[in-house]
Amino acid sequence: MSENKKSFLKKIKGVFEPLLFSREYLKNKKWVIYLIIGFAVLSTATRLLVPIIIGAIIDSLELKNFNAIYLEIEYILILAVLSALASFVVNFGAQYSSQIYAYNLRKKVVNSMVKKKTKFFQDKTSGDLLSRTTMDIDASRNFIMNSLSQLIPTILIIIFAVGYLFYINMFYSIFFLATVPVLIFIGIKFQRKQRPHWMKIRDTYGVMTESIQEDITGQRTVRSYLQEEPQIDKFTGITDTYYGEYLEVANLRGFYNNLMPFIISAAATAVIFYGGYTSIVARSEVGGLVAAVNIFTMVTFPVSFLGRLIAFSENARAGIGRIKGVLDRDMDEDVLTGGDFPGSNAISLRNVKYKRGDREILKNVDMEIPSESFVCLTGETGAGKSSLVNLIPRLEDPAEGEILIGGVNVRDIPLSSLRKNIAIVPQEISLLSGTISENIIFGRKNITEEMAKKAAKVARIDDFIEGLPEGYSTIIGERGITLSGGQRQRVALARAIASNPKILILDDATSSVDPETELAIFSRIRKNIAGITVILVSLRYSAMKYASTVYELENGEICELENIDGLNYAMEKEGFENEADL
Amino acid sequence: MKQTYEEVEETYIKTLKGRTALKRLIKDMAKNRKQTAILIASVMITAIAATFSPLAIGGAVNGVASRSFSTIFDFSLLFISLALIQFGSNRFRVISSTILAQGTVKNLRDRSFQSIQHVPISFFSKVKAGFLISRMTNDGETLGEFLTFQIPSVVSGMTTVILSIAIMLYLDFDLTLYALIVLPFLSIFTISLQGKVRKNYLRTRRTIAAITGNLAENISSIRSIKAFNVESYTEDKFDGLNADNLNANIKASRLSSLYGAIVRIIEYTGIAIVVLAGAIELKAGLISIGILVAFIFYVQEFFDPVIQLSQLYNSYQSSIVGVGRIYGIIDSKKEVVSDGQITISSLRDSIVLKNVSFSYDDSNALRDINLTIRKGENIGIVGHTGAGKTTLSNLIMKFYVPQKGEILVDGKNIMDINTESYRNLISPVLQEPFLFHGSIYENVKIADPAMAEEEIERLAKEFNLNRIFDKLPEGMETNVGELGRNLSEGQKQAIAILRALCRNPQIIIMDEPTSNIDPYSEKFIFQSLEKFAREKTLILITHRFSMISLVDKIVVIQDGSIVESGTFPELREKKGIFSQMYDILYGSKGEGID
Repeated sequence: MSENKKSFLKKIKGVFEPLLFSREYLKNKKWVIYLIIGFAVLSTATRLLVPIIIGAIIDSLELKNFNAIYLEIEYILILAVLSALASFVVNFGAQYSSQIYAYNLRKKVVNSMVKKKTKFFQDKTSGDLLSRTTMDIDASRNFIMNSLSQLIPTILIIIFAVGYLFYINMFYSIFFLATVPVLIFIGIKFQRKQRPHWMKIRDTYGVMTESIQEDITGQRTVRSYLQEEPQIDKFTGITDTYYGEYLEVANLRGFYNNLMPFIISAAATAVIFYGGYTSIVARSEVGGLVAAVNIFTMVTFPVSFLGRLIAFSENARAGIGRIKGVLDRDMDEDVLTGGDFPGSNAISLRNVKYKRGDREILKNVDMEIPSESFVCLTGETGAGKSSLVNLIPRLEDPAEGEILIGGVNVRDIPLSSLRKNIAIVPQEISLLSGTISENIIFGRKNITEEMAKKAAKVARIDDFIEGLPEGYSTIIGERGITLSGGQRQRVALARAIASNPKILILDDATSSVDPETELAIFSRIRKNIAGITVILVSLRYSAMKYASTVYELENGEICELENIDGLNYAMEKEGFENEADL
Repeated sequence: MKQTYEEVEETYIKTLKGRTALKRLIKDMAKNRKQTAILIASVMITAIAATFSPLAIGGAVNGVASRSFSTIFDFSLLFISLALIQFGSNRFRVISSTILAQGTVKNLRDRSFQSIQHVPISFFSKVKAGFLISRMTNDGETLGEFLTFQIPSVVSGMTTVILSIAIMLYLDFDLTLYALIVLPFLSIFTISLQGKVRKNYLRTRRTIAAITGNLAENISSIRSIKAFNVESYTEDKFDGLNADNLNANIKASRLSSLYGAIVRIIEYTGIAIVVLAGAIELKAGLISIGILVAFIFYVQEFFDPVIQLSQLYNSYQSSIVGVGRIYGIIDSKKEVVSDGQITISSLRDSIVLKNVSFSYDDSNALRDINLTIRKGENIGIVGHTGAGKTTLSNLIMKFYVPQKGEILVDGKNIMDINTESYRNLISPVLQEPFLFHGSIYENVKIADPAMAEEEIERLAKEFNLNRIFDKLPEGMETNVGELGRNLSEGQKQAIAILRALCRNPQIIIMDEPTSNIDPYSEKFIFQSLEKFAREKTLILITHRFSMISLVDKIVVIQDGSIVESGTFPELREKKGIFSQMYDILYGSKGEGID
C-alpha cells in the first residue's frame, strides 16, 4: 500500500522534475520567483474581477444608473493598469528566470565538458553532444518558462473555482472534486505513455544533427563513391522516425489532453442534471446552478492547459536526462595542491599498461628519455604510439604503472602546470575559425604577438603568412582562406612551440610537410628553445635522422634500441641502395 | 566586403523574401490537401460546437425554470454531445496539425539534405557546416513548434474575429465603429515597434548562433583545449557569448512583455469606450439594453484573438527567417557539372589537361597546367607542401571546375560528361581519409554494397592490408567511431585504400595514401599494388619517394606550375628540382638544413 503510494507520488513528482532540476541554476534568483508568484496572484485576481465589473455595469445599465457606469468604467481602466503591470512582471519574470537558468546550465555544461577525461569523448559524437548542449537545454528552458508564467495562475483559477463552487452549493463542489482523481489518473497515464516517445524524439534529434555533420564533412568521399542516394535514404529514415514519434505523441495528446476537458464537461452535465432535478424538487432559484455551470466551463481551459504542460514536461525531462549525461561524469582528476613543474625534464615510464575499452594497447612499457634530448618513437601502424605519448601530459591515464618527469609522478603535478610545460601536436589538427595569430596564441594570456611570430618562424610558416595580404591577421577556417595539409600542421606546430615548452611531443605532426622543411624545423626547434626535450612520433625514416635515440613500440612493449641514433636506424631499416653516397 | 551574419538576415527580413518564403511555405503545406481540409474542418467544428454550448446550458436552465425534466434531459444530452463533438474534433485538430507541421518540417529537412548532396563542392568553403546544421535542425524545430500550435490558433482566431465583427455589425453599426476605434492604435503601436522587435530578434538569433558555433568548435577541438591547458580561456570565451545571448534574450523579452502589457491596456480601453458610447446611446434612446449587453460580450470575444494574433507576429518573424534560410539551402545551385549529357563506361584513351588554371578566392593554386595521362599509365605527381598537388586531383575528380583551360576525357570536355558515370570510373584515396560511423566492413562496402565480407577479407590479404586490421581485437567488425576516431591515422588510411581497391576502378587517384602507415607495412602494400596498378591508370600524389617505383612517369609541380616531368632516371639525370628533393630525403644528415 505504502509502496503504491510512494510510486504514485513519484509519478506526480515526475511532472515537476524539470522544475526541481532548475532550482540549482536559479539559486540566486529566488526573489524573482517570489515576485512572479505574488504578481501571478494579482494577475489572477484582476482576471476574475473583469466579469464581476462587467456584471455590475450590466446591472447599472438595467437601472439606467449612469453615474455608477462612469465609476465602473474608471474601475475597468484601473484594472487595466493593474493587470498590465501584473502581466508584465509575470511574463518578464518567467522569461528572465528561464534565460538565467539556460545561461547557468550552459555554463556548467561547458565547464564540466572541458574538464572531462578525454576518454569521455571517445564514444560520443560531436553532433550528439552539440544537440545535448543546445536543443535539449532549450527544451527544458521552454518548460520552465511556461510553468513559471502559467502554472500559478492556472492553479489559482482552479482553486478559486472550487472555492466558489463550494460557496454556491457543497454538492456541486463534490461533483468537481470527483473529477480530480480521474484527471490525475489520466494525467499520469498520459505522461507515462508519451515518455518513451519524447526520449526517442530527443535522441533522434541528436542522431539527425550527427548525420548532417558527418555527411557534410565527408562530402568528397560521398560523391567519389556515388553515395548521394544511400545518404539521402539514411537521412530520410531518420526524419521518418522523428516524424513518426511526433505523430505518436500527437495521437496521445489528441486523446488524453482532450479527454481532460471532456471529463469536466461530463461533470458539468451531471451538475446540470442533478442541480436541475433538485431545483425543481426544492423549487429553488436557478441563479446558483447557472453560476456553477459557468464555473465548470471556466476551468476547462486551465485543465487542458495542465495537460499540455504534462506534454512539455516530458520533453523537458527527456532533455534533462540527456544533459545529465554530460554533467559530472568522468572528470579529470586534478591535483589541487602540490608543487611546480620539476626542474629536470627527463621522462621515465615504468611498467606502464594502458587499455582502451577491452583492448590492451600498452602491455608493459619501460622507457627512459634523458633531459634535453631529441628522441624518436616509432612502431607499426596501430601499435599504440599516440596512446603512449598522450599519457605524458595526462590526456589519458595508464591502467597501471607510473610516469615520472624529473623524478616526480605526473599524477602529483597540477594539470595546469603539467600541460603548460608539455606541448603536444596531435595527428588530427583542429584549427579554430579566426585569425592565424589567434590560432597560434590560442587564448594563452602569457603569449604575445611577438612570441607567436617567433614560433611561426621556427615552424617555417612565417614566409607563407607574411606573404598573405593581411599577414597574421588573415582569417582561416570556414569563413577565411583554406590552408593545405602541410600549412595547417605548421600552424599547429607554431601554436605548440609558442609557449617555449619544456617538453614537446610531435605526434606525427609533420606528416604532410615535405622532408626538407621538416628537418629544417627540427633543427630550428633545437636551436631556439633552450633545454627542450622533444619526442618525435614518426614512421618515416627521413624524419628520424635527427633523433639521438629511437624507441620502437612492438606488441605493446618498447624494444630497446640502445646506442642507435636516428640516422643509423633509418639506414639499417631502409637498407639504402645508395648508402655509399652518404 | 563580406556582410555580417546579422546584416544578411536583416536584409532578408526587410526585403520581400520573407513574405515569399511564407507564401511558399503555405503552398507546400497545402499540398497535403486531405490534412489541410481535416484541420480547417476540425477547427471550425470545434468553434461552432463551442458557440452552441452556452445555448445548451441556457436551454437546460429554461427547463429548470419551466420545471420540465424532459427539457433538462434533452439539453443536458445536447451539452454533453457538444462536448463529445469537441473532444473528437479537437483530437483530429491535434493530429492533423502535427501531420501538417511536422510533415512540412520533415519535407524541408529532406529537401535541404538532398540539395546538399548536389551543390558544388566549393559551396562548403563558403558556407559554414555549423550554419547548415543549425538551419536544418534548430530552425526546423522552431518552425515545427510554430506550425503545430499557431496555425490552428490563427485559423480559429480569424474565424472568431470575422464572426464577431459580423455579429456586431448586425447588432449596431455605430457601436461597432466605436469598438474598432482602438484597432488603428493597436496596429500603429505594433508596427512602430517592429524595428526594435526585429533588431532584438536578430540579436538573439546571432548570439545563439555564436553559442552553437563556439560549442561545435570546442567539442571538436577538445583535445587541443586540454593539451594546451586553455580550459579557463575556453570557458571565459564561451561565457562571454553566453552572457551576450542572455542579455539579448532579456532585452527581447522585456520588450515583448511590455508590449503585452500595453496591449492589455488598449484592450480594456476598447471595452471602456464601448461601454461609454453604449451608455450614451442608451441614454439617448438609440439602442436597447439587450443589444448593448450582447455587444459587450462580443467585444470581449473579439479582443482575445486579436491580441493573440498581434503577439503571434513575433514568433512569426523568428520562424519565417528560418524558413527562408531553409529554402535558401534547398534552392542552392546544383553542381553545374552534373548536367553533362555524355555517359562514359570506361576510359579508352586519356585524360588531358589543357592550359588549366585554377585559383581559390584570392590565391593562385594552379597555372597553365598541361598534362596528358594515358590509359594504363602510372603517373606520380610530386612537389613541396602547398604546391597545388591536391588541387590538381580535385580538378581531375571534377570537384572543382577550372577557371581557364579545359580537361578532356577521351577527347570530350569533362563538362559535357555525366559526372556520375565519370566518377564511377575513379577510386580516390583522399589525403584525409573520411570514414563513416560504422564497422570497417560497412566503410568498405560503400564501394560496392553487394560485396561479401569474405571477399573483402580476401582483398585485404591480397593487398597486405590485413596485417594492419589484424591488430584490432574485433578485426574488421571494429566500429571506427565518429570520423574514425577510434582508430589511428594509419589504420584509417588502410581502410581508405582497401575501399578504393575494392571498387576495382579503372583509374586510381591516391593523395599521400600512406603518410601515416609505417614503412614496413607500406612496403608490403606497395609490392601488392604494383601488380594491381599495372592494369590501371594510377595518379599518385606525394612528396615522398618511397613509392616512386610504382610510377612510370613523374611530374614535378612547384608554385602551381609543372616544372619538370619524365621518368625517374631522366629526372635524376637532369639534376633539377626533383633530384634535389630526392637528395635531401636520402642524403646525409644536416644537408639542406640551415
